[in-house]
Amino acid sequence: MAALSYGTAARIAARELRSSRGKFFFVILSVAIGVAALTGVRGFSASFRSMLTLRARSIMAGDLSARTTLEPTPDEQAGLDKMAANGTDATEVTELTSMASSPVSFDPLLVSVKAVDPRKYPFYGSVDLVPKLPLDDALTASTIAVADDLLLRLHLKLGDTLKLGNGLFRIVAVVENEPDRLSGSFAAGPRVLMSEDGLRAAGIMSPTSRASRRYLFRMPLSKPGTPSSDASVAAMKEHLEGVLPEAQISDYREANPALTKGLDAATGLLSLMSLVALVLGAVGVAMAMRAHLQQRLDSIAIMKSLGARSGQVIKIYLLQTVFLGLGGGVLGVLLGLGVQMIFPLFLAKLLHITPDFRIDPKAIVVGLGAGLLTTLLFTLPPLLDIRSVRPILILRRAMEQSDDPFGRRLLNKLRGNLAQVGAMALILVCLILLASRVSDSAIVGNVFAIALALILLILLGLAALTLWLLRVFLRGTRLALPSSLRHGLANLYRPGNPSAALLAALGLGVMQIMAVYFVQQAVVNELHISTAANLPNMFLIDIASTEVEGIRMLLKAQPGVQGEPEIIPVVGSRLTEVNGVAVADYRPKGVGKTPFIGPGSGGSTVRGMSRNLSLTWSPSAATPPPGDKIVAGKWWTAAQAADGATHPLVAIGQFQAARLGVHPGDTLTLTAQDDSFTATIAAIYDTDSQHAYSRAEFILPEASLHGLPTVWYGGVHCDPGATAGLQRALYAAYPTVTVINVAATLEVVRQVILQITYVIQFLAAFSIFAGIVILASSIAGTRYRRVREVVVLKTLGATRPRIATIFSVEFAVLGLVAATVGLVFANVVARLVLHRALKVDYHFQPGLTLLALLLTAAATVAAGWLASHRVLGQKPLEVLREE
Amino acid sequence: MPEVALAPAVPSLAPSIDPSAAMISVEALRKSLRTGSTNVEILKGIDFRVAKGEFVAIMGASGSGKSTLLGLLAGLDNPTSGDVRLNGTAISYLQEDKLAQLRGRTIGFVFQSYQLIPTLTALENVLLPYELNDESGDRKAGLARATALLDSVGLSSRVDHYPVQLSGGEQQRVALARAFILKPPIVLADEPTGNLDTANGSAVLNLLLDLNRTEGTTLVLVTHDPALAAYAHRRITLRDGLVVSDERTASQEAQGA
Repeated sequence: MAALSYGTAARIAARELRSSRGKFFFVILSVAIGVAALTGVRGFSASFRSMLTLRARSIMAGDLSARTTLEPTPDEQAGLDKMAANGTDATEVTELTSMASSPVSFDPLLVSVKAVDPRKYPFYGSVDLVPKLPLDDALTASTIAVADDLLLRLHLKLGDTLKLGNGLFRIVAVVENEPDRLSGSFAAGPRVLMSEDGLRAAGIMSPTSRASRRYLFRMPLSKPGTPSSDASVAAMKEHLEGVLPEAQISDYREANPALTKGLDAATGLLSLMSLVALVLGAVGVAMAMRAHLQQRLDSIAIMKSLGARSGQVIKIYLLQTVFLGLGGGVLGVLLGLGVQMIFPLFLAKLLHITPDFRIDPKAIVVGLGAGLLTTLLFTLPPLLDIRSVRPILILRRAMEQSDDPFGRRLLNKLRGNLAQVGAMALILVCLILLASRVSDSAIVGNVFAIALALILLILLGLAALTLWLLRVFLRGTRLALPSSLRHGLANLYRPGNPSAALLAALGLGVMQIMAVYFVQQAVVNELHISTAANLPNMFLIDIASTEVEGIRMLLKAQPGVQGEPEIIPVVGSRLTEVNGVAVADYRPKGVGKTPFIGPGSGGSTVRGMSRNLSLTWSPSAATPPPGDKIVAGKWWTAAQAADGATHPLVAIGQFQAARLGVHPGDTLTLTAQDDSFTATIAAIYDTDSQHAYSRAEFILPEASLHGLPTVWYGGVHCDPGATAGLQRALYAAYPTVTVINVAATLEVVRQVILQITYVIQFLAAFSIFAGIVILASSIAGTRYRRVREVVVLKTLGATRPRIATIFSVEFAVLGLVAATVGLVFANVVARLVLHRALKVDYHFQPGLTLLALLLTAAATVAAGWLASHRVLGQKPLEVLREE
Repeated sequence: MPEVALAPAVPSLAPSIDPSAAMISVEALRKSLRTGSTNVEILKGIDFRVAKGEFVAIMGASGSGKSTLLGLLAGLDNPTSGDVRLNGTAISYLQEDKLAQLRGRTIGFVFQSYQLIPTLTALENVLLPYELNDESGDRKAGLARATALLDSVGLSSRVDHYPVQLSGGEQQRVALARAFILKPPIVLADEPTGNLDTANGSAVLNLLLDLNRTEGTTLVLVTHDPALAAYAHRRITLRDGLVVSDERTASQEAQGA
């Protein structure tokens, strides 16, 4: 027999496709939904993430910052110049405190000066001025912008002149918001924002002045509108640490840990959702192709009876599969792009953000590849069966079944089809590579891949076990059960019924949908804590001990103030020894090659700590301050706290602990007001970066610091509209206390995190919806097998409600078993992803899990009913005539 | 097997049956199907009656409309026009579920390809119509009858076997037992021996005839096989959707003689 050419095979495949368009449309749609979910979720999340990281960068006003108190050395300057030549933009921000006065009243006032290059600063975000002015116009060599409390304190107004050093500057605007207010220094005194030229004109900088310099860097954009990747930012950070060894380098992700956490959560969750979309799509394809090939058995038997060899038949159906996979893939990509275009329209009203719509060729290739590969992968097993299709099938309808155990049947099948097994393995590897490509978070990708492989194995095993148990159960109880129930249960192992595959598909689907839901819910809860309305957004600097109670009362009485103000004591100190080794000689163990340098607040470097270190005590004797969580060691007891003067204990922030390379049990020798004492590290804690205590990194029992000079710092939440009133009231009562208003900046953080929560909820809802559609269509795909049974039952006198009852029992059991296994794994996956990747607490929710279990069973029955609706209405003779 | 040659429009030799006494009454029955843009007329106006206890064979070439006719007799589809009455009840336009109930109580059906439910054992398959239609709630009685019927078709040792574990002949014997479980007044059989070898075929036929005799049912059988039709009391032959002959068979005449 002449070999069947690809042309002829393609023609036969295409003819068959044309002959029953309705059924093939269904297969293509399943592939398309999966690919669309993948392309849409991935494409949208990529552009959303770009937009989000751009906003996150505004908290720092750059990609990276380098803080130092020293002028750059010639070597360092050369390094910076080289970076500039390579396309990295840099600008310098100088911050210092100085005395200013009104040339009219001569009232002096300590001010916090910030000098910038207005042509460059800020790289991200914007400085809000009143009246609205471009920064470049507002800040010249002779004009400045100031905080409104400066005007208040010096009885000045816009247009007046301020004397600063040797210069006289005209005040042209009030500074409402600086994007990098949180990452700048919290110095005492109202803000004066000026240009570098102005700073030089004022002549307040001297070699001995303790000005803080911040270099802001913006990396070259990889694509217009797309910020540089986190990996390239991290690489640049490492490079900068080499160029400026004495500086404290931080990247935008460190500017606000809450924001970083939100971003990480978004990345992890969006990865998870992309993977879920990929696998759910694959499940849809698998079920659709399986049902499709089952229906082609007659055609295959006819072809074989006409002399076609298995290889030739496989060629035809392989080509048909490729047509279907490609057709579905292309349709899916188009749908996905549509989804990507429609999402922003939904979100625009809710979030006031519109991520750019960009066609990402990579996302399209991944989508198409995933569609085609999954179609091929899941079609291969049924294609293998073509070899065992005997032409007698066209004469004898009943499916012959081997009585061999499942394992032996599988082994026999594998033995006879080594080439196909090899091809499947190859495709599987390609899919795993695709999955790792789809996942932006390595941990999420790994957890997911392992869980997926495990659950597939377990589900298939459990499905076989369940069916076996059902069979044993029915043999034992057979005639004692009501016939509808018995028949429904018996249907689960109907020969040729894909119960095991359907159970696996449903279980997998439920696991993924619920894992997304659980993770999404936990992340959203966590993020809502970060956006809670009562976190401090105004900070009070330099409160004297005698003013603390008065300020507390004032804050409580002030309209717009919410929650309890946090006022924390600060004792100035120096670090002199670590574990008995003088700081100058100390080399921390296990800290990278640049142990003295790194991001952080407070004492900055170890060398810095030897000059200036802030100590505090907790408001409660035996518990950590609000917002702090112990990560190592144990907090002291009330008795240990009382004994603090004799045996000092200290708790330190985990960042500083890492920098110092110390652990609980190590000792730190601290010097305050020429008194030295050695404290043992009792605990290491993590802060939420939201409370006032987050800015303190060395906490001791009050008794240990008793009698040392103490200044107090406060944090309070005030409604953004009432901040001006609070500032005025505070100034009137406590003129020496500086108020730093970060309400606007924190509002940006809050907004971004809220946007993250909305988007992940929205995308999770979309993924869940797509998953349900795919699962419902998988169930619907089994309807063709039911037609014959419905006809026989009807012929024997069964009414439609009776048949519906039988099918309901079958679907309900399927749904319950699949949901039980799926939910167990959903909880396991959610726990792993939340703990390992997102560092978010996981709480088992029995009520929700039970509800999901019942809903899944109900949804499975509903999908079964919907799918069987037409089958139930079919006239028996229509089917019998086809025989 | 060669088709029996029949002259067209042979006058009916069938006895005239009083319509009120007829178990099956078919009047001006037409059925057409649309396939694409063409309308295919399968039955072009059929009239006949079958008396209680009668055994009628319907013959005809492939495509003559005999299986469609049998399907319409069982109410498995609606006719395009005309009427079918079973035991005096017009069934052609009954609501679907009413029809199913009537079918369950009135008709036993035997298919060429057995049509057993693969997930149920032989005993359960036989019991199924009883469970679907019996309102007495007396499961024991049903079970006893199913067991007895399986015994009568020689399958008492195979009651707990699934269809895949039975041969074709055995499956068809289960199908026969199933058709008779409710003692239906009418049994319709569509090529019941068509898928069986000669030995199994004649065994099944003998069982069918035995059951027909002992249960006193009206039997309508569709077949290609003149030898099979020869067992019937009456033979109706269809060609192109029309009855071309309706006559008593030799066996019936001999019996009558």
